[in-house]
Amino acid sequence: MTHSSMETPFQDLEMEAARSSVLVDEELKRFNWSLLLLEVLLFAIGIWNLSSATGVQDKALGLYKSQALWFGIGLLATVFILLLHYSILSRIAYVIYFANLILLGCVLFFGKSSLGAKRWLGIGTLRIQPSEFMKLSMVICLAKYFETDQNYSGYGFRDLFLPGLLVAVPCGLIMLQPDLGTALIILLTFGSLMLFMKIQPKALIAILTIATVTLPAAYKFGLKPYQRQRLVSFLDPMSDPKGSGYNSIQSMIAVGSGQLVGKGYRKGTQSQLNFLPEHHTDFIFSVFSEEHGFIGSMALITLYLIFMLNGLSIAYQSHDKFGVLLALGIMIIFFWHIFFNLGMVMGLLPIVGVPLPYLSYGGSSLVTSILCVAVLTNIANKKFMF
Amino acid sequence: MAFLGQEEQIREFQDRFTYLYAFLFLGFGLLVSRLVYLQIFRGDQMRQFSEENRIKRMKVAAPRGMIFDRNHQLLIDNRPDFDLEIIPQYLHESHLEKQVFGILGRILKMSEKDILTTLDKGKGLPTFMPLKVKTDLSRDEVAQIEVRKLDMPGVEVREEIKRTNVFGDISAHLLGYIGEVNQFELPIVNKKTQKYRLGDSIGRFGLEQKMEEYLRGQDGEDIKEVDALGRVKLEKKKNRVLAANAGKPAIPGKNLILTIDQDLQQAATESFGDKIGSVVAIDPHTGEILAMLSRPSFDPTSFSRGIPATTWNKLLNNENHPLRDKTIQDHYAPGSIFKIVTAITGLEEGVIDESTIFHCPGKIKIGNRVYHCHARHGHGELNVVQAITQSCDVFFYRTALKLKSVDDLAKYAILLGLGRKTGINLSGEVSGLVPTEEWKKKRFNQQWNAGETATVAIGQSFVLATTLQLANLYAAIGNGGTLFRPFVVKQIESFDGKILKSFTPDIMSRVELKEKTVNLVKQGLWGVINSPIGTGFAQRLPGMDFVGKTGSVQVIRIAAEKIYQRCETMKFKDRHNAVFVGFAPVKNPEIAVAVVGEHACHGSYGAAPIARAIIKKYLEKKFPERFNDKTLAHIKTIPVKKAGTDDDEAGTDEEEITPVETGYEPPLPPGSLSD
Repeated sequence: MTHSSMETPFQDLEMEAARSSVLVDEELKRFNWSLLLLEVLLFAIGIWNLSSATGVQDKALGLYKSQALWFGIGLLATVFILLLHYSILSRIAYVIYFANLILLGCVLFFGKSSLGAKRWLGIGTLRIQPSEFMKLSMVICLAKYFETDQNYSGYGFRDLFLPGLLVAVPCGLIMLQPDLGTALIILLTFGSLMLFMKIQPKALIAILTIATVTLPAAYKFGLKPYQRQRLVSFLDPMSDPKGSGYNSIQSMIAVGSGQLVGKGYRKGTQSQLNFLPEHHTDFIFSVFSEEHGFIGSMALITLYLIFMLNGLSIAYQSHDKFGVLLALGIMIIFFWHIFFNLGMVMGLLPIVGVPLPYLSYGGSSLVTSILCVAVLTNIANKKFMF
Repeated sequence: MAFLGQEEQIREFQDRFTYLYAFLFLGFGLLVSRLVYLQIFRGDQMRQFSEENRIKRMKVAAPRGMIFDRNHQLLIDNRPDFDLEIIPQYLHESHLEKQVFGILGRILKMSEKDILTTLDKGKGLPTFMPLKVKTDLSRDEVAQIEVRKLDMPGVEVREEIKRTNVFGDISAHLLGYIGEVNQFELPIVNKKTQKYRLGDSIGRFGLEQKMEEYLRGQDGEDIKEVDALGRVKLEKKKNRVLAANAGKPAIPGKNLILTIDQDLQQAATESFGDKIGSVVAIDPHTGEILAMLSRPSFDPTSFSRGIPATTWNKLLNNENHPLRDKTIQDHYAPGSIFKIVTAITGLEEGVIDESTIFHCPGKIKIGNRVYHCHARHGHGELNVVQAITQSCDVFFYRTALKLKSVDDLAKYAILLGLGRKTGINLSGEVSGLVPTEEWKKKRFNQQWNAGETATVAIGQSFVLATTLQLANLYAAIGNGGTLFRPFVVKQIESFDGKILKSFTPDIMSRVELKEKTVNLVKQGLWGVINSPIGTGFAQRLPGMDFVGKTGSVQVIRIAAEKIYQRCETMKFKDRHNAVFVGFAPVKNPEIAVAVVGEHACHGSYGAAPIARAIIKKYLEKKFPERFNDKTLAHIKTIPVKKAGTDDDEAGTDEEEITPVETGYEPPLPPGSLSD
């Protein structure tokens, strides 16, 4: 391995291929499959659940088939990524970042609308959602930024300006679509990562102060009326039970009515009879929870926890700073997705569109998750190579 | 690959992972505890919510009982009507609301605002409760809505029953009307055992109100499984969540058979014309009400499915009070009708007898006041029978002055049913008024004076009576002194015709009257109609022995010089009330009728013809072999002696009435009473 920035992925590929078969065998034996296996397991549950959620609903009939197709695409990408070395990402981090930024820009101009938001780019019959990919690109970019950065006494306010800008630009573009959920996830990921990297207390206080001052203004001017309404109805869902509080209430009813063992597969009345809104995307967990009850939900949550622990241990065991930060960043994304989605479905958090990894319907989201796991697996398995 | 110092930094990073794990477990712990809360602690409740979500209970409205007259002629029917309902639950998204309101607005020609206003009525109620937007849809509207139903989730057409008064505004007050239970009434009406729901029909007036417990059926229920758009799941669809659900059939309300004879109602309506007032006809043997009418009227059919506020206010503010049941809710000074009470009191108390003769010079001075007779120049000398026949005021002033006090009059008036409610099973009955010395003391803190007794004796001053009381009074005299409690419902039948309950006559009081007293009074009443000098001679019904008493009652205090002003020249609201009460046949009456025509001037022509029409109709119908044109042909018609003799009391005519010779004995009615 060299540090030459002139190296191309293809050279890497050739080098990989040139390794002796003994090494490959050894590597396969030590290969960390755990995350990939968990991914397949979660996806299997996801597609099974999705076929229940969409099977009866006429308009979304057969959505699980296209979800399976996206999974296939994701697996191909995984194989490709595993053949490379993740340090390549460090080299092309900014390329990825800016490419994704351009895509986000394109969305605003040429994007396709659905449900009042412009989030998709149409390529042939496929529709991709660049904001989903932006999460990963963002983490790669930040890992790259901090890789060479030496800091022992915590980050000051001024140190945070540039990375802050790196985050703010895509966040702004995403907010314009508007896609509050994704922007929120990116901000939370950035914030969590920075806390991990240690921020000087002074800077932290300053940031918190600024946030307190600007949040009300952002609420007033930055949010669309429906987004504001969602926040209000989160605080008091009964204020408008047939209007904006409807989703939250119906979702809680779905989850709660599952009770201990659930209503049975495809027997969830809340979803089968369409009382649940968006039940194949953001509210997919309520479908699962309604049909499989507390026992099923606990099993699923435990699976996610194992997934998280596995991912974090990869970050922990990584031997280089880029690897640690990249793995950590990815796991933080997962964490906030899982936490925010489940929190929202169970009425703990306001309703912002955050998909549940592997369970929610959505190609870009699924592929992003798969790419993330691919990168993590790559990090896990390349640590012995030097 | 490693940078300078990177390994230390990584080690430092690794130290911080403890926080990460702590945070991770905290987050997941939070999620799990929420899951426990929702599924374990509130699971039962949430399960119930979800059941309510998907199971739509549809009310199957039970038809209200029907109402028939005594001959099983249908009076109140249930006819189909179509309603538009919206279930707000399905319109939780604003774009849906807009779409639905848009389509509906075009079909129904209503503005979105109107629709919203009707929906606002249901604020605070569960959103799965349907709200009525419009009633009485045309077939055309129903068809258009059904066609566009898929675009309008939560919109439903429901077939409802329109309570229809078959004869329009006839009997409106008696039969009453229904209305919808609103959300303020719900808690009140549901205190009783019967459970009402919003929008259910409830009787609001008349028999519909009084007989609510019988008329109301038991609603059934249809249980259907629906999706979030309110669409009923089809049976054949796979994966139905609900296997099968049995509903509950509706049980129709009970039918009422009235004592009313619709033919009489119609005869009364026709002869009443556009006058204002009321009619009551009673069977003196039983107290059954044969006819009961209040005019002007309204059509209760238009009330059954809701009525626009403007129409309602118009009815409410109409100066002729079409919504009041004038048979029992209004009372009037009975005027000359009351004179027979005075006659009975005098005869029973022994202050006068059949040979007592008073001279009527046209007026009499009591204390410092002059009391006039309606005949300006007086009636000359007359006995009690002639006094009734000619309605002589002075005779009864003098009779009254012989009494110990007004309380004697009150005693007989009350025994004969005045001054107290009859207790008829209809709402809002007033009791009328029979004044006593004690009453005046209490009411005005004043002593009673003799002049007042005199005015009471001719049915003016404080005396007040309802049309029903007057009819019942004459019915009691007709049958010899038994006062029955009037009733309108004869039978209650189940919807399939089984008799569940029959109502039998109920005696209010029995007045022990001397046979002579009754005969003298009847003779007087006979003369009113059948003697050429009687005040109602023009209304005679040869062969039917129709008897009665006319009355023309001042409604305002009239200055002495205006007493004899012609009634028709006065302002309408100042004109006398025309009253007539009579019965037939005189010996053993089959029917007693009271008529009050407000501001119709004369009992003789403002009220008596209506009574005559009813009595004629009734007797011809009930006894076709006894009373028909053929059987009555041999009976000689007594010629009218002179035009104008039927003019009545209270100084309503400028023409003088020739005083009749004293000692004139009116002929006894056929089938002499005195034997």
